[in-house]
Amino acid sequence: MSVSARLATLSVLVALGAVATYVLLFRVATIRNHPEGYVLAFAVATALAALAVARARGRRWPAWLALGFSGLLLMAGAWFNFVAARVPGTPTALHVGERAPDFTLPDATGRPVSLADYRGKKPVVLVFYRGYW
Amino acid sequence: MAELQGLGAQLSEAEKSGVEIVAVSPDPNEQSQKVAEGLRLGYRFLADRDLAVARRFGLVHERGGPEGQDIPRPATVVLDRDGVVRWFSVSRNFQVRPDPGDVLRAVRSL
Repeated sequence: MSVSARLATLSVLVALGAVATYVLLFRVATIRNHPEGYVLAFAVATALAALAVARARGRRWPAWLALGFSGLLLMAGAWFNFVAARVPGTPTALHVGERAPDFTLPDATGRPVSLADYRGKKPVVLVFYRGYW
Repeated sequence: MAELQGLGAQLSEAEKSGVEIVAVSPDPNEQSQKVAEGLRLGYRFLADRDLAVARRFGLVHERGGPEGQDIPRPATVVLDRDGVVRWFSVSRNFQVRPDPGDVLRAVRSL
């Protein structure tokens, strides 16, 4: 196997490995909370593929294919992580040391639950999540 | 849901009875029910259909949803027995959620 083909193969493996790691280990907080990790891995894969193109003698298409693949992943990954997944940091109504605003909402059985129901009884971990996942 | 599972999995049985994990999302009740039963971790799932509560907490990401709809900003808040905020974390990137370990430390320090 030529140096170029080896670099191209390594590039594809790094890119696919990053996707697999993120998807399979999504529940591991360290992986989930460092999404810039997959962007970095895609950048490494793109650099390897670029090197493969530079070193290619004769058959060049595998190196170009690897470059196209990793380059697309890098652009898509960077866009998703740095643009699409960004949440604005506007001020919230939360202040440490102050009482949280009270509310009443239906639970899964439709029964109304108030935050005040827990007052004097239990600490509460309140988790706001986007739904859908 | 991943962060909810992580949180529940790290709580001991005794702690589960001593703290209430209340999960608020705009998902309909039926869907929350399925999730709650599937996880069997004793959370209370509350349906905030029109985001009125998320809005009151200042936790709405305007037009941030997959179809351009308003959606909650992922946030975790630890309240003590008096309903006073002791710790909170609001995500700046929706892929990122607080480490369950940090949340538990806040709960255990109450």
